[in-house]
Amino acid sequence: MRQLTKVLTVISMMGGLTAGAQVLAEPFKVGVCYDLSKAYTFATPQVSQAALDLAKLINKKGGIGGEPVEVIVRDHGNEPQRGIECYSKLSREGVFVFDTLSTPVSLAILPRAMADGRVLMQSLVGRGDAVDGTVFDWVYPVGPTYWGQAANDVAYIKQLHDGDMSDVKVGFVYFDYPFGQEPIEILQTLSEKEGFELDLYPVPLPGSDQAGVWSKVRRDKPDHLIVWMLGGAHVVASKEMQRNRIPMEKYISVNWLNEVDIANIGNEAAIGLKRGTNVVGGPDVALRQEIMAELYDNGEGSGPLEKTEDVFYNTGLAMYSIVFEAARRAAETDGLPITAVSYKAALETLEDYDANGLMAPITVTADDHGGGGKTRIEMWDGESWVPQTDWISEYSDVVWDVVKESSSKYGE
Amino acid sequence: MFYRLSGVHHANYVSDSRIFKVPADRNLAIFVFLFGLAAPFLLPSLYLNSYMLPWLIWTAAALGLNLVTGWAGQLHLGYAAVMAVGAYSAIHAARFGVPWEFALIIGGLASSVIGSLFAFAALRVKGLYLALTTLAMQFVMDWVLTHSPAISGGSHASLQSPTLALLGQDITSDTGYYYVAFGWCLLVTIFMLNLKRTGLGRALVAVREKDFAAAILGVNSFYYKILAFAASSFIAGVSGALLVATFFFLAAPEQFSVAVSIQVLAMVIVGGLGSIIGSYLGVALILLVPGLVNGIVAGGSQSLGMQINVETLAHIPNAVYGALIVIILLIEPLGLGKLYGNIRDYLMVWPFDQLRK
Repeated sequence: MRQLTKVLTVISMMGGLTAGAQVLAEPFKVGVCYDLSKAYTFATPQVSQAALDLAKLINKKGGIGGEPVEVIVRDHGNEPQRGIECYSKLSREGVFVFDTLSTPVSLAILPRAMADGRVLMQSLVGRGDAVDGTVFDWVYPVGPTYWGQAANDVAYIKQLHDGDMSDVKVGFVYFDYPFGQEPIEILQTLSEKEGFELDLYPVPLPGSDQAGVWSKVRRDKPDHLIVWMLGGAHVVASKEMQRNRIPMEKYISVNWLNEVDIANIGNEAAIGLKRGTNVVGGPDVALRQEIMAELYDNGEGSGPLEKTEDVFYNTGLAMYSIVFEAARRAAETDGLPITAVSYKAALETLEDYDANGLMAPITVTADDHGGGGKTRIEMWDGESWVPQTDWISEYSDVVWDVVKESSSKYGE
Repeated sequence: MFYRLSGVHHANYVSDSRIFKVPADRNLAIFVFLFGLAAPFLLPSLYLNSYMLPWLIWTAAALGLNLVTGWAGQLHLGYAAVMAVGAYSAIHAARFGVPWEFALIIGGLASSVIGSLFAFAALRVKGLYLALTTLAMQFVMDWVLTHSPAISGGSHASLQSPTLALLGQDITSDTGYYYVAFGWCLLVTIFMLNLKRTGLGRALVAVREKDFAAAILGVNSFYYKILAFAASSFIAGVSGALLVATFFFLAAPEQFSVAVSIQVLAMVIVGGLGSIIGSYLGVALILLVPGLVNGIVAGGSQSLGMQINVETLAHIPNAVYGALIVIILLIEPLGLGKLYGNIRDYLMVWPFDQLRK
């Protein structure tokens, strides 16, 4: 019995020692509180897999400043109170960089992150006016806002019509809730500015019945359609478009359209379809190939291989390349351990950073937390996405007017 | 033994209509109250503001729903919409400069008016038809919130709540928020405990059991149904406003969506219709268990060194949680409150009931 006690004591002491060692080598941790079980599952598995893979790759190469990095993935089921729970728990464990990839949860965490001084990355979700760094110190929606993205779509249409939009008709098909309604204001402003006609086509949630919408589109005959919908709704839309004989070329989707949607629409049927994006799609990007060679070929990937062939995997790589690049810079300038303050400062040094050709180059400054909001339009040619424009960020004065107008109301 | 009944006699009506007829129940309630009062000093702040605070506010809300569903027997599927009315009116009032005390009451009254207005139309139908009508209210409210930036706060549909201040005191600390939630939940609990022993409570129960039988007894069932809707909506409104003021800090339509309505109803049903302690337990199960199971599963798989896909890891807690609800309702269809009641009844006479066997 006494022997057993001794053994137990030694074991527990060893346990204590390793725990102590872990505290010393405090790794750079990212809190990934995602909705892996409810509304955002069309994208979160790919994005979190990308985050985990990227962390593994970095650790394989020696970590950041010699310390390993850690990605902590938790499910919040798109419920604000569980998101807050995840945030509070991880932030007490020393995490100061968070991402939620969910608009309701991002909104719920934002006031806390602002008060606690934690960096909230919220690429592609949450309130768009958070790009205004003068108001939202701790929020970094690096990547395009929906406003900027819609403005770039208009710029692309203008380019197609040689700069004259006076007799162009643009239809805006959108989910009739805040996600889809967001770009309306900017589109209306641009319609006045450029003189094109704007027709609005709200689609009731969940978007499985769009028959009425598309027969109206057929009657109105818009020249282009800017579409703000997600996942399966694209497939429903494509069926309705075929029924109404509306050519796929008119369709310009928001960035939330991936290979799964293309497969469901049908490779052939989807030819001509366009989407706005801030990352390079397809499996050929350098970073993904490096991950393939280092991890998946050795059987060390963080999930199934087919998920890495999805454009949202690239989106995830882009988001977390930014996260880790900033950490690397923070470690370089201010040394270890990285703190929230040094991390924030490092984020704001990112200039024309494109993660080795993976995404639109971003430049984050203290005023512009969005990184410039560049996107491009790509077209599906049956096999791959063909870029139709360069990385563009047009009408930024108009976009920033809307941003400022909205952000000035925060904290009133 | 635990619930000593010796010397407990009720010789008159006043004594028989006490809230706690057995001293042990009262002592337990006092103990829980003291624990609640001391919680900020006993619990780490994580538990205080991520678990205790939402638990108490949701319990107050669930008790409100229990009033209309458990006591008056009217199925309500639009409860979150009523909470939204309270939250948005209170915040708009507070942003307008109305002191929070009045803003909360305005929120409650606005909910009350909307809730009972709807009940006026809805109560012409009964049972499942009523349930569907209340569901319609939920959808109407969802639509109003997502389509009126003036109410929901601009294109992002998020409305920031001003700093909560009560009795001239700004409340900004975790402890402060907790005490506000605690105070509100306590108030609602005391109201509900007393409801049982008033004429109003008995009338509601009569309406629940059979409304026309109640009418024959001279209970105006329509009046009491409206009253139940109004009272429950008031509680919903204030709870919704406090939820935003002390926990979310900004109101967004998703916080009061149809999923939330179903969730509150689940809290009441799993907890037990017409049971106060059941509401506490039901809220704990529906609100807190998913997060806790999530933590346990994630921690467990990590310490065991298992390589589980993040997606699978997210779905295991959901399965466990679903199974837990089914198991509890299989063991005791009347909910967690009845389960507690069974244990209490068993202990009431233990160990003397063993003598007969």
